[in-house]
Formats: sequence, C-alpha cells, structure tokens
Amino acid sequence: MKLWLGLALVAGPLAAQSARARLEGRVPGAAIPVIDSLIQAASTEGLPTEPLIQKALEGGAKLVTAPRIVAAVEVSLGQLRDARDLLIRAGDEPPVTPGEVTTVTWALRRGLPRPVVERVLAALPRAPRAAAMHAVADLAAHHFDPDSAADLIIAAIGQGLQRERLLDVSAAAAHELQRGRSHAQALALVRGELPNVPASPKPTAGAVARARRPPAPTPP
Amino acid sequence: MNAIDPRIHQALDGELAPATLSGELRQAVERLVTAAALLATPIPAASLESRVMVLIRRPAPSRARRLLRWFVAPHAVTFRVRPVWSLAFAAVVALLTLFPMRREGPDIGEHEGIAQFVGRFPGAQSVHAVGSFNDWRPGSIALEDVDQDGVWRATVVLPAGAYEYMFVVDGERWVPDRLAERLVADEFGRENSIVIVRPARR
Amino acid sequence: MDVTGAPSDAEVVARVLSGDGEAFALVVRRYEAGLLRFAARMLGGRDAAADAVAESFVRAYRHLASCRDPARLRTWLYRIVANRCKSHLARRPIADVSLDEAPPVADPSDTAASLERAEQLALVRRALARLSPEKREAFLLKHVEGLSYEEMAAVTGERIPTLKMRVHRAREALLQVLEEHE
Repeated sequence: MKLWLGLALVAGPLAAQSARARLEGRVPGAAIPVIDSLIQAASTEGLPTEPLIQKALEGGAKLVTAPRIVAAVEVSLGQLRDARDLLIRAGDEPPVTPGEVTTVTWALRRGLPRPVVERVLAALPRAPRAAAMHAVADLAAHHFDPDSAADLIIAAIGQGLQRERLLDVSAAAAHELQRGRSHAQALALVRGELPNVPASPKPTAGAVARARRPPAPTPP
Repeated sequence: MNAIDPRIHQALDGELAPATLSGELRQAVERLVTAAALLATPIPAASLESRVMVLIRRPAPSRARRLLRWFVAPHAVTFRVRPVWSLAFAAVVALLTLFPMRREGPDIGEHEGIAQFVGRFPGAQSVHAVGSFNDWRPGSIALEDVDQDGVWRATVVLPAGAYEYMFVVDGERWVPDRLAERLVADEFGRENSIVIVRPARR
Repeated sequence: MDVTGAPSDAEVVARVLSGDGEAFALVVRRYEAGLLRFAARMLGGRDAAADAVAESFVRAYRHLASCRDPARLRTWLYRIVANRCKSHLARRPIADVSLDEAPPVADPSDTAASLERAEQLALVRRALARLSPEKREAFLLKHVEGLSYEEMAAVTGERIPTLKMRVHRAREALLQVLEEHE
C-alpha cells in the first residue's frame, strides 16, 4: 500500500513534467501554467491526461490564442468528468478505467444521448466498449435513430460479435443506405444477416507496401 | 552633389532637435522625413507564407541523390566507350534497378493498423494530415498527388484507435475530411474528422 | 515570450531547429512586410522583390543553424535579403522605375490628397533609384526600416563610419532631387 502511494505521489509531478515538455514551444507560453494545472487535476482524479494535452497541442497548431486554448482544455476536462460520472452511474466501479473515460467522452462528443450511452455500457459490462460506442455513433452520424442504432449493435453483441466486428455492422447498415434502402429497411436487413455481416476488406498488399510511419516526434 | 549643412544630418540622426533649426534647414529635414515616411508605406502584396512553406517542405535533394536520379532516369545518350567501360556501366545500372530506392512496406505490429487518407484538392501545392496521431504537427504526414489529378493520398501505419484530425491545404487552410463521415466539434469553432484505425492482423 | 503570449524570435528559432519546421511560418509572417518593402525599394519592383524575399526565407530556413544570435534574427534576415538584392542589381543593367511600380492610374474616387501623395511617392522612388545600390541600401535601412547603425553594420558587414557617410550622401542626393522638383 505504502509503495503504491509513494508511486502515486511521484507519478503526479513526473506526468506533469513530461506534459509540460510536450507543450513547450508548441503552445503559447502564457497558457502553459494553467493548462499544466488542469492536467494535474485530471491526473489526481484518475482521469486520462492525453486528451487534454492533445487539445492544447491542437490549439497551438491551429494558432489559437492562449485564452481560447485554456478554455478548450477546460471544456475537455469537463467532458472527461462528465464521462466518468456517467460510467459510475451506469455501474462501473470507481476508480473507472481511463480508457473507458475516453470511450464515453468520444460517444458524448459524437452526439450520442446519455441514455443511449448508458444502454451500450450496460450491454457490455466488461470493457472495452470503444468499438461498440463508435459503431453506434457511426450509425447516428448516418441519421439512424440513436436508440435503434443501439438496438442493432446490442443485438450484434448478443450474437457474439465483438470489438472491431461491431464496426462492420454499422458499415453494413450504411452500405444499405447507399444502395437506396430506407433507414428502417437497412436496420432490418443487417439485423437479419447477423452474425454474418460482411467483414470490411483488409488493406491490400499494395497499401501495406506503400504505408509509411509518421516520423517520431523529436524529443523536446 | 552639394554637401548640405551638417545640422540637417544631426537633426536626422537624432542629435539635434529640429525645432532649433532655422526655417530653411527645418524644411529640408521635413522633406527627407516625409520622403522616408512615403517609402515606409507597406507594399500591397499577398503573404509569402504559403509560398515559402511549400518550398521549405520540399526536401533539398542531396548531391548524391540528384546524381543517382540522373543515373537511373532514361537518357538518350550515345557515346563511344571502350567495351570494358560499357560493361561496367551496364553493371552499375543493373545494380541500381535491382535495388529499388523505395523501401519495402513496414512490419505492422499487433496493435497497429493502416489509415488511408484521401482528399480531392485540385490546384493544391501541398496537403497534410494533422491530428492527434502526430501531436498535431503540421508537417509530418504529407499526402501526395502522384497522378497530378488533384486527388491526394497517404497511407500511414498507426497504433489502433480513434483519432481526430484535419487536412491542412497549402500550409494554411484547415479543412475537415469530407469523406470521413465522422465529424466532431473541435472546441475552437470548427469541426475535426475522426479516423478509426483497426488492427491489421485481426 | 512577450505579454501577448507570442513566442520570441529566439524561441521560434529553437523550435524550428529542434524539428518543428512549421514554426518557421511564424518567422515569415513576422518579417515579410518589412523585408518585402525593403526589397521592393531596393529593386524598384514588387514581383522581383517577392521572389528575392521568398528565396531569402528559404535560404534562412536551410541555414538557420548558422544564425549565431537568434535574438537578432531580424538583422540576420535583412542581411540575407540585402545580399540577394545586391547580387540581383549587379546582374541587371541600370533600369528606370519598372512598369509595375509606375504611378497608379487616377481613379475618380481618389481624393486630391491621395493623388498628390501617390505622385510624391513616385518622385521619391525615382530619386531613390538614382542612388547607387550602397547608398540606397543605407538610406532604406536607416530611415525606412529603422535599423540602428550597429544593426546596419551587422546587415552590411561595413564599418559604422562608412555607413554614416553613405547615409549622409544619400540624404544629400535625395534632397537635391526633391528640391529640384519643387
């Protein structure tokens, strides 16, 4: 217990130090102390800090002013806290997994109503729910009614489909729309195909050969 | 060219207050100050920023690279050489084509996948993908328009997961990826696209 | 870093040298107006000036590591542009004011004041064009770009007394032309 606490005490400032180093020179200096304290707060609360760092880097890259970057990071922190609260209400035992906080944050940002998010969480009591959440959100992005979208994905889960295969389910429904079906028809069709929805094509050998790794970020 | 009263120089160098000068000298000072002010009018012109940034993003080819490119490219050349030299030449060319300069594709790790970025930007000089997969660094993932048909592409190995991103066109225009069909507010008044990279192995 | 939160030149140079090439855009934005104006007044043409300044920025980027004092980045940039302008001028025959710098055709909406101003500017530019490149450069750096003699010495590589003399001669020549056209 003592060792764990000791590590926690050390990990906080260390995490902050590496966050600062990533922000220096990329984000207006005036904003860094405030963003730093927001990152520290997230870390102390057991929330993921990477979304906050990314938001700050994004603001710096988009040449946004310091106050607006700070405001955006504050909004992001609020979203993380919201997501954590939702997870706990949906039955996850605290402390919630940072990865799941990120997943629920995505879902809410992508416009899924809270009750729909809670339904998907309940259907998958054990993490990870990222693919399921994105699959429902993908359907919603194609103007499927969110509750019906959740129905389809939960049905797929019930038929043993998991993780990235759930994205194949939403892709199949979107495909039916492209073929001219109505939303209701598309849902019914794909539901009928479960669990045998077509898998998305793997990248071709040519694509793999062409693929490059982006250069690693230079150490600060 | 007539030398002028040294007090004019002193006034212009800030060593003497113009108010202390007589009318004629003060007039001369004012004439030159006005001329300088007129010359200080900014030149109306479009910003050089995108032009400069496009040029600096192009890698300056090393001399060795340039030489190699010349060597490998087809050339209509007739020259008389001794047979032994022509054999050596042929051997070198063969060697160069056997070992293509472009490296083979990467080994893809268990938790990695491939993201393919595509966009139509006819007339663009450069297109980059910038997002949470590269710490929002504008230069690191450049799309290419190989066929010069206005369609820009890049294929990138990334850890599996979801990322936000935008395209940056000509170094200055930030646009979401319209083909991505997933948009999310960026909290800065615009929208980012989302890409979900699936593990390549599974 | 200044109070507005904008990074200092030294900070931007450090960023670029540590791999963030895109940060160089800040340098371009910060200095292009002054450099373009200086080059346009030196060369007598806007397009030639844009080429010279764009090439100078690229050169500056590629040789950024050799900028010994990043806090004096501005002076270093002026040096590159000044050298480029002088080579350009050495190559071409002495020319009158080029076409794209000719006084603008009168617009009915122009006020008398702005017309007069345009004519005055044209006169001053013609006077400037009659100076030798060294004197023109000295006058522009001192009186238009507002450099100190120390900074001008860093830009031109000349000693301060030499620069002072050039500025004096430039003033005299300009005054003569301006007074002639009273």
